[in-house]
Order: sequence, then structure tokens, then C-alpha cells
Amino acid sequence: MSTCAECKSFFVREEEPGQGDCVRRVVDPRQAYYQSKPVREDSSSSGCESFQKK
Amino acid sequence: MKCTECSYEAGVSSFRYLYNARIDASMTLRQCPQCQAWLAVDELAGEARQRVTDGDAPWGKSAGIEGLARDVAR
Amino acid sequence: MVAEPARDGSVQELENKQEWWWVAEKKRSKRLDYLRKAVWKKGALGGNYAPGIKLDLECATLFTDMWNFWKYDPIMMRRAKAIAHVLDNKTIFITDHAQLVGYFGSLPHTIMWRVDGASMVNEEAYNEPGIMPEPEQESLEKVAKLNDYWAGQTAVDKVARILDPEDAVKFLSGAIGWGAPSSAYGYSGKDYEYLFAGKRGFEDIIEDIEAAIEKAEEKTVGVPGPEILDIYDRLQNWDAMILVLEAAMRHAKRYARLARTMAENFETDDKRKEELLRLARTCEQVPAKSPRNLQESFQYDHFVQMFARVEAHEGAWPARPDYYHGPYYDKDVNIDKTLTKEEALDLVGEFMIRAYEVGGFAPRWAREGLQGITGTWVWTLGGVNKDGTDACNDLTIAFLQAARLVRVSNPTFGFRWHPKVKDEVMRECFECIRHGLGYPSMRNDPLLVQNAMHWHGHPLEEARTWVHQACMSPCPTTKNGVQPMRMASATANCAKMVEYALHNGYDHVVGMQMGPQTGEASSFTDFEQLFQAWTTQMQWLTNLLVRTVNLGRYKDPEFFGRPFLSGISQRSVESGLDVVSPVGDRGNCWITAFTWVENIDSLAAVKKLVFDEKKYTMEQLITALKANWDGYEQMRLDFVNNAPKWGNDDDYVDDIMIRCLQATARHSHVMKCPSGNNWPILPENVSGNIHYASIVGALPNGRRCGDALYDGGISPGPGLDKKGPTAVLASCGKIDHIADGRAFLLNQRLSPTQLAGEKGYQLWKAYIRTWADLGLDHVQFNMVSDETLRAAQKDPEKYSEVIVRVAGYSAHFVDISRKTQDNIIQRTVQGI
Ligand code: SF4
Ligand SMILES: [Zn+2]
Repeated sequence: MSTCAECKSFFVREEEPGQGDCVRRVVDPRQAYYQSKPVREDSSSSGCESFQKK
Repeated sequence: MKCTECSYEAGVSSFRYLYNARIDASMTLRQCPQCQAWLAVDELAGEARQRVTDGDAPWGKSAGIEGLARDVAR
Repeated sequence: MVAEPARDGSVQELENKQEWWWVAEKKRSKRLDYLRKAVWKKGALGGNYAPGIKLDLECATLFTDMWNFWKYDPIMMRRAKAIAHVLDNKTIFITDHAQLVGYFGSLPHTIMWRVDGASMVNEEAYNEPGIMPEPEQESLEKVAKLNDYWAGQTAVDKVARILDPEDAVKFLSGAIGWGAPSSAYGYSGKDYEYLFAGKRGFEDIIEDIEAAIEKAEEKTVGVPGPEILDIYDRLQNWDAMILVLEAAMRHAKRYARLARTMAENFETDDKRKEELLRLARTCEQVPAKSPRNLQESFQYDHFVQMFARVEAHEGAWPARPDYYHGPYYDKDVNIDKTLTKEEALDLVGEFMIRAYEVGGFAPRWAREGLQGITGTWVWTLGGVNKDGTDACNDLTIAFLQAARLVRVSNPTFGFRWHPKVKDEVMRECFECIRHGLGYPSMRNDPLLVQNAMHWHGHPLEEARTWVHQACMSPCPTTKNGVQPMRMASATANCAKMVEYALHNGYDHVVGMQMGPQTGEASSFTDFEQLFQAWTTQMQWLTNLLVRTVNLGRYKDPEFFGRPFLSGISQRSVESGLDVVSPVGDRGNCWITAFTWVENIDSLAAVKKLVFDEKKYTMEQLITALKANWDGYEQMRLDFVNNAPKWGNDDDYVDDIMIRCLQATARHSHVMKCPSGNNWPILPENVSGNIHYASIVGALPNGRRCGDALYDGGISPGPGLDKKGPTAVLASCGKIDHIADGRAFLLNQRLSPTQLAGEKGYQLWKAYIRTWADLGLDHVQFNMVSDETLRAAQKDPEKYSEVIVRVAGYSAHFVDISRKTQDNIIQRTVQGI
């Protein structure tokens, strides 16, 4: 099973081991932005459509 | 009063009252109960003058039929 | 005829044609242009949300999950934990080119949903077409589940259960007032004196709280007695405040981390990289520590506003940005020279855009009442310092200039005018008005300071800090003056006063006995009987609303709870009480008096045509009114055209205005708020004149049920002020703007052609002088020609950026309903 830690969008938080941010670029009809959502490095990435192997 | 669109005839009050954006004119907006058209109504004469389509309004100053209300000629 | 919008012309050509919206587009920086166009407009278009706007389910779900998890915690702690969970886990984003960040929803196009506010609103959210995120079916199921969970448990549900049943039915009929008696939908003032003047970051506040806890704990281990018993509750409140402030600081650090990640991993442009790193440093500094420069100061303020909005649905935005951020502008631009004037102006523009994009889900009545916007973000500029000296600074000017570049309809400005305001600042105000923004509204500062002392006993120094609590009402930003909750349900549909006086308290529109039975008007034999009936209805109506609101306010700490707002308010930091508790709040309540002038014109028409001239009998009048004037057109025109109307300097009707205001003012001293202070009225309408069009019945001023009401405050009826602007000012000048009420809104339309050039400015300045000399407290201007407005009605696409003043707020003309547009066009264009 692959995990978020193996994903290109995953950025580990140095001060909080195991915890990271899922950072992705989004372009919507009005603006472009980077979004961030907390994820754990051991979260399963199966079922995540945005998973991209590092 | 007779609808200018479908010729339905009834008393003025059978036409649903919508609004009158200019209080000192006798021109109002009513809706025909048969064809649902919005009508510009001369309340003094009790006559429907014309259909009001989207974006039009029958009183003095709005876009559409500026100056139709005779009592607010400006 | 108006020429086609010539967006291809030169700036000079566009200025000559007064096509200010294209001028702005050409003049602003590329960055600002991008940010302005990037905004997802949350204001409803004539009542409907724009395509692409979606309900924020993420925050609602996160909040509910944690709320449910901590079910045994006291309410303030439970809410603190739920908010912390939202702040730690919601999606955050940084828009390209942004230097300021923070949005209370999860994505740029989402509207925040106050899921714990009112079941009625939740049901509306479920049924609102087009706002469910894809996949729609899945979202609908989520919303249904959340609604099931909250049914009967929301703040308003809890208040509704304890209201007097008769009051509740009448209030909920929607006929006599609107709003929700809960801070879940209020608007909170911020204790800017504590945060900004006091230079406190959240870490400093936590130290203050910990000191208070330590003192309190000495008592809980000391001599037993009744006075230590409520300390235990306060200790839990303090813990909740600390918890939520810590979560807020972690939330800001998430932005710092994101900005760094972007800079280090994605960004290739060196300039943008540096911007992102500065943004990261900014979010590491604030809100934890007090700001060091303008960017940090803006960011701090914006974070505070966002956190308050995660906690409650805020319908307004009391702020005084030039006063509180001005010193940082001065430091960066004038002293340290770390920012150029242009860079600072850009930042100011962005600060306004960050507020413009904020929007929460609102029920339909609120959307209709505030067409085109999501709340009344009226920011206060100008005014005086605590010592009475002129408070205008370079940042005041920057805000007025930035407004013309970004041309947002929200926030808008209210300018505190006083005799010491410099000409250069007045010119900037006028330029905004000339550019058709409809703002700033002009407020008479010396008079309003005195008014605040008269009605609420605010000490002079505190009164001088006042900000617009919403569209109109002044409120200090001090420890005991700041108002934690606007009781929006004390918003009265005043036209009902005269309507009920004429129908023995019966409401023919909603079909129930509402007011007291004050007698069959058809048997009244003189005006005094009618006036007596009116007074009784006025007292009944205001009493009912104020009772409801007082109760909602009193119970709010138990039913809702504001850990964050308490955590940033000095009096709660010191006392450990929920800031909404009336303890320590001096009181600054007011009744927003919608549809007020209809009373005056109606009473005057009856007095003149029935009792003085005996042209009609009361019986004939009541029959015609019950028929909605159908079949009585000649008579209706008589009541419109042959009875005196407010705003023409005619003592006959102006005296009635004063009598009504004085009767109400007397009653305002009788009704008390939970702090024991007075309840003055404040006539203004937002766009309630359209919302109530089909709720107010036919009246003797000649309106039919269905017609838009007057545009509000003490503005004369549209088109009925036939004697020119001086007569309007003269009528309004007869009102005692201190003793007769809290403030009085006046709309005026001026001609852009007449006010062109230097001559135009001098005319306007002279007008303002007269306005001030006559002792009026407010005036705001629309300066867009009939031609432009008509062209915009015909071709909305081309004129999508035309802004108009609706009432206490501005909106893009194309976003308001046809009926409201017409109502604005009908207002008389005054030549001054
Ligand atoms: S949530 Fe999806 S996109 Fe984000 S880090 Fe995990 S696998 Fe990657
Ligand atoms: Zn018809």
C-alpha cells in the first residue's frame, strides 16, 4: 500500500514528525493558487486521485 | 382591461399587481393571469398600454420605455 | 446617449468620458489587477448566488465533528475546541501574487456556512439551488446529515424555545423586523485599543490571561465564600480563550509554512520568491507577536477578522484602518523608506480585496435586504485622535486612492468629517464620490461624538475612537465601549407603525392581529387620535423587538459562546467572562429604523386631506387602503401630489417628523439594554425597502402593497423632494441630530456633469459646509448619471463594474434586482 509520504505533494513538517502538508497547485476559472491540507505521512494514498509518485 | 398580448379581458384588479416604481405616476406594472405577460398599465384609464419585456420598465426614468408615463413627462 | 464603454481609449479619454471603471483597470498595477479579478464575488445577485459559488462543507463538517466529540465540555470550551479543529485542519490557500493571506472558508469560491447558527438557515442552505459542491448528491447527503445533527441545537433554536410564544410568533412572521437574536449572526466590534494601540500579539494576551488566572486561583484556594464560586466558570473560560488563541497562532504558521514550501520548491521567479519569504516571516510574526511593519499590521488585522468569522457569522466589519495602521505606514514609507508609496498603495488595495472576497451563506431575506454584498463592511476613516486633534494621515489618503483603483463594493468607507480636515483629504473623498463609488459616506464627527455621549454616556476620549459598528451606528473601540454583538433583530419595519394605527393593530398582509387594538381608525375624529394610536403602536413594536434582543443577548454566553472574541477583548481577558456578557459593557444599542419616512408622509397626508381639508373621510381612506388603492387612482394621486411631503422644507410635514422622532426618543430612554443603557433609533434601510415591498400594505402616502418603499433613513421619497437640495437639507436640519436619535441616513443623487472639474469640487465642498452647519450627521452620494444607469440596465455585461450607493452600503449596479435599480433611478438628481 502506498502512502502520502511517497507522493510528490507531500511535505514533511520538520517540527512535527509523522505529520506533513499536502501542497498542490490549483487553477480555477478565476485564479491560480497553492492549497495546503494537513496529512500524515503514513496516510494511505490509495483512493487519492491526485497521488503522484515522488 | 384587455391584455395587449393574449386579449384576455377582466377588471384591472384581476391582473396581479407587481409594482409602481414611481409613486407620483399612475403607470404601474401588472401581470396577465392568462398569459403571464407583464403589462404597463395606465391606472387612471384602466388600460394596458404595452407588454414589458425583460430589462424594460414602463415609468419615466428606467431603461426601456423612458417617458411612457404621461404624468411624469420630463 | 452614453457612448459605448471605450475601454481601449487612453486614460485621459476615459477620464473625460467619466468611465471610471476602465480608468481604474488601466491605472492599477498588474498585480492588483490580477488580484482584483481573481475574486469570487460572494454577494448575491438580486438574491441569487453567482454560478460557481459553493457552500463550504469542509469547515462545517470539521466543526461539527469536534463539537460532537467534546459533548461534555462547557460551551465556551467546546466551541474553542471545535474552532481549533477547523483552524488546524481546514484547507488553506495562497493566491498567485498575494502578499496578504487568510480566508475563513476552505477555497476561494466557497461561502462559509454557520452550521450552528439557526436550523431555519440550515434548511435554506439545503434547498438553495446551485451551491452544492460536486458531486451534488453526495453533498446534499452530507448537508442533510449535518442538518439532522443541528436541528433544535443551534443558537437561535435555543433562544426561540424560551421566547414568549406570542412574541416569537409575531417576530417570526417577518412583518415587523428581521435578524436573529444571537451573536451567531451578529457583528462584533474589535477591541482595537487593546490589540493595536496596546501593541499586543496573542502571546502577550496569553500572558495577560495567565496572570489573571493566577490571581483568580489564589482566591480558589483561599477563604471560602460566595464571591469565589463563579471563579470556577471563569477559569474554564480563560482556558478556552488560551486554547483558541494558540490554535489561531498555529493556523498562521500553516500559512508561513506553505509560503516557504512554495518559495523553496515551486517558485522560479526571484521577486516572487522574496515576496513569499516575506509573507512567511509575516505569518511567523503575527498574530503571535505585535506587528513591526505595515504588511504585518494589515495581516494581523485580517487574521483577527477571519478568526472571528470562523467563530460566528459576522454581518459587518467595524474597523478604522487608517488610524490603527497609520503609524506603520508612516514608519515604512516616510521614515525607514522600506516601502515606496506605490508599493504601499498596492498593499492597501490588496487589503481591501482580501475583505471583498469574504462571504458567508445568508438566508434569502438577508440576501434580498443586502443585495449584491455579503455584509456591510463599512470601514471608518478620518476623525480625530483621543485629544481631539485631526487623525487623518497619509494612510487615510492611501485608502481613498486605493479604493478608486480596486473599485470594490465592499468594504466601503464612512469618513468622519470635522472642521480640521485638510483640503487635500477632502479632495480625495470627493474624487471617490466623483468616480461613482458612492463612498465615502460623510459623517459629522463632532456631532456624532456628542451623540455617543448623550445616548450612551461614553466618555469623551472613548467616544472619539468611534467606528461604524455596521453601516451607520458609531461605537467606540475601547474596553468598556466595544460592542461584542450587534443585536440585529432590533431592526424595525417602521412603516407598520402607521399601518397598524390605521387598522386597529391588525396586519392585513400576514393576516393576524399584531399590534394592540388602538381603535377603529374610521371612527377617529381628529389627528390627535391617530397620532396617539401611532405612538402606542410604535411603543409596542419597539418593545417587542428589544425584549427579544435583550433576551438573546443575555442568554448568548450560555447558548452560543465566543472564546475567540473574548480572547481578544480586554474586558474578558481581565474578567474571564464571555465578552457577550453585559457585565462591563457600557451599552451601545440602537434600533435600526427601516421604512421610517413613510410614517411621516402618511400621517401628514391624513392630517391634511382628511382632518384639515375634509376632502375625504377616514372611512373612505380605510376602504381605499384595504383595496390597495385599486379603483381609487384619482384619490391616490391626490394623497401623493396634494399632501405635503418630507424633504421640501414644509413645516406642516416637518413638524410631524419631529413629533414622531421625539415621541420615539422619549421611549428610547425608557427601554433599556441588558447593561441598563438606552435604545435610540437610527433610521436607515439597507435594501430593506425592497424586501418589505410586498410585506407593507397600502399607505396614505400613496404606496400600494408591492411598491418599493422609500430608500430610507430620513431621505425623502424618491422623486418627492421637488424643491431642490437646499430644501432637503433644511428639512433634515430641523431634526436634533443628537437628542432625536442615534444617527440619520440621507441619500442624495448629484449630477456628474455639474460636479465635473475644480468648480464641481468647490460646489460640493460648499454643500458639505452647509450640511455641517445645519447639524446633519450623515450624507452619502450617488454620482452616476441616469444615462449610465439606464445603459447598464440595457446592457449589464458592458457596465458590470458600475457601482451605486444603495443605502448604508454600495453595490455593483448589475448585482441588484430590477426593482432596486429602478428605485435608485427614481431618486431625484439634485443640482447643487
Ligand atoms: S492526499 Fe493525495 S495528493 Fe496529497 S499527499 Fe496524500 S496522496 Fe498525495
Ligand atoms: Zn395575457
